[in-house]
Amino acid sequence: MLILALIALITGILCGTWNSDNIIISAISLHKNLILYILMFSVGISIGRHHELIRKIKEYHIKIFIIPTGVILGSLIGGIICSFITGYSVYDGAAVSSGLGWYSLAGITIENLSGVQLGSIAFLSNLMRELFSFFSIPIISKRLNYYCCIAAAGATSEDTTLPMMIKYTNEETVIFSVLNGVICSAFVPILISLCYSF
Amino acid sequence: MITLCVMCLGIIAGRYFFSDKFKTANGLLQTICTVLLIFSMGVTLGKKDNFFDILLSLGFDSFLFFAFPTAISVILVYFFSNRLLCDRKTNETDDFNQGDQ
Repeated sequence: MLILALIALITGILCGTWNSDNIIISAISLHKNLILYILMFSVGISIGRHHELIRKIKEYHIKIFIIPTGVILGSLIGGIICSFITGYSVYDGAAVSSGLGWYSLAGITIENLSGVQLGSIAFLSNLMRELFSFFSIPIISKRLNYYCCIAAAGATSEDTTLPMMIKYTNEETVIFSVLNGVICSAFVPILISLCYSF
Repeated sequence: MITLCVMCLGIIAGRYFFSDKFKTANGLLQTICTVLLIFSMGVTLGKKDNFFDILLSLGFDSFLFFAFPTAISVILVYFFSNRLLCDRKTNETDDFNQGDQ
């Protein structure tokens, strides 16, 4: 998916730079919103299919929310700090960091709401988060604790970075990792929408 | 807001109307939509007159928006987990080691 996303981005940039416009490119650009709604509906279906989530919440009780709370709070605080450094508004900064590592959804949602520049920053920053977490899990698991590996991964802890969790942590952490990924993924569109509601 | 409502509709549809046999197709649909939207984002970026000038500043801003949220997330989870979760993890580790002996 990562390679596909990069190829799509680079191809799009090249088409835009060369001003190559044809029916297909125009159709995609004109119906961007429709494609986004289809994607969000499909994401909702994925979340709705997680029957295990309710059972696991009953098993672990409130502790299941400790890691996602830290991830979301830490990301929002970090985004607000960055907004002061970069000059973007607090809401823009919080929205970008609300991607929680889900670079594809964050980039295209924020581009739709706030423009292509911030959408690109959201895409790149969350992509960097996913790449960093993938390669840093072995080090974080030794230097800090297993749960911090989940924090670095954010919303990607249920899929992309899960193989690394399985290899460098333990079974309980893997369960928390999947649950954190589901909860954070569900919160990404909510947080981004909330940031632009004010 | 509309995207949120659409996602909620999807959650309801996924919970009550879709079975696991649609999982692969759903995943493929997500991939196709994501690729198309990222492509569209790239086209819009490429059409900007000063795209290559702003690319450098975008890269630095992106790095900041990656570094601070990630670092603070890790710090907060370290703090919360040490206070609230790690007792259970430590006990499990001890039991595991005793089991080995």
